[in-house]
Amino acid sequence: MFQLSIIRDTIPIHPSKFALPPERALIDELNKKYANRVLHDVGLCICVFDIREASEGKVRYGDGFLWYTVTFRLTVFRPFPSELILAKVKSSDEDGIQLSLGFFDDIWIPRIFLPQPSAFDPNERAHFWLPSAEPAASIHELLDSPVSERMYVDANEVVRVRVERDEFYDDEPGPPKATEGVRIAHESRRSPYTITCSIIEQGLGPVVWWRESQAILMDEEEG
Amino acid sequence: MEVLNPRESLLSNFEVLALLNELEADYHSKTKTAQRIKKEDEAAGVTAPRAYNPLDDISQNLRTIEVEAIQYLNADFQPTRRQTPQGITRLVKALEPYGLTKAEKLQVVNLAPTATVELYILVEDPEERIDGVMDEILDHVRASLTDEPLEEVQELPAPAPAPASIQEAYAEEDAEGENWEEYAQEDDFVDHGEGAGIEGDLDVEED
Repeated sequence: MFQLSIIRDTIPIHPSKFALPPERALIDELNKKYANRVLHDVGLCICVFDIREASEGKVRYGDGFLWYTVTFRLTVFRPFPSELILAKVKSSDEDGIQLSLGFFDDIWIPRIFLPQPSAFDPNERAHFWLPSAEPAASIHELLDSPVSERMYVDANEVVRVRVERDEFYDDEPGPPKATEGVRIAHESRRSPYTITCSIIEQGLGPVVWWRESQAILMDEEEG
Repeated sequence: MEVLNPRESLLSNFEVLALLNELEADYHSKTKTAQRIKKEDEAAGVTAPRAYNPLDDISQNLRTIEVEAIQYLNADFQPTRRQTPQGITRLVKALEPYGLTKAEKLQVVNLAPTATVELYILVEDPEERIDGVMDEILDHVRASLTDEPLEEVQELPAPAPAPASIQEAYAEEDAEGENWEEYAQEDDFVDHGEGAGIEGDLDVEED
């Protein structure tokens, strides 16, 4: 789930920080710059782990800052594909389920990665799995089923999910084109880092489903 | 900025939590210093704001992710509360003979599966590779966990507030005054930290 990335960067230190030990000042600056930021194709940065190497601070022409070239290790959130993680259900809609880790919310389970057969219940605003139904059952048949047989994925439930893939988008707007005049085009903003997960396998999905089934199995064995 | 190696190594949740708890303790000592300087100023009748405030160094982004990540890693559905560094070391050693991959071992540590179904989905080709030894592995995992969620943080070498008290501190962040008293009682603050040196320097600058 978390990894260390080695990064090199040039960091200015303001004269008011000269009293601090340089290492301290650098870590503060690096944390200020990187914490809670998505680096393209690296992941979501949490904080500096340690400093590997730092050059002598140099004063450049034009300001009084000391510029350091630092090689450091960063703690990064980037679950690898096929990793299992625990997350909470944030919300559900027709297209899938959004999950949250508290510090990261761009985790999705698209409809195709839900256990089949399943359907979205618009009244409950939640997806449910109907293990007893035929695999080819239509949505109408599923929605006609008795509520007691449905296994809902409710909001705020803790789910165990498998990471399928992650995507990075770098949607920085380009420079405005003067020839085109003023034109405000609102493109839907994509989040810079999205993780797609699945709960299609046995054992995935709300943690309680499997805790219950385990208990039933145990009872059967004992009985 | 240049990325030299995007994935040098993997970290377990427990390690990240320990690191964040350390940052957290650091933040508390900083705010404590700031509080102390403010008190001293008030006592001395200095009204002009200081040029340097240790709290300026704290980035809001870092605070946000720190608090939220600690909340996630410390949540009651995570096994981190029942883990100890010794337990994890023992568990990793015990897992060696089963031929699990590095990623699988990491996930065993992160998720601490205690039921067969949890272990089953974690390992690729479970029937082929760990058939028959699953219960042994589960026993090792159980042995590595303490029964009770730890109240005191043992993983931190530095004197740091326990996670429980950190959480409390957040719950009543506004009522910080009380927490200062608590922390002050826990460990005496020796005045050789950042504040001390900076004060001296600031005086020079003010002249």
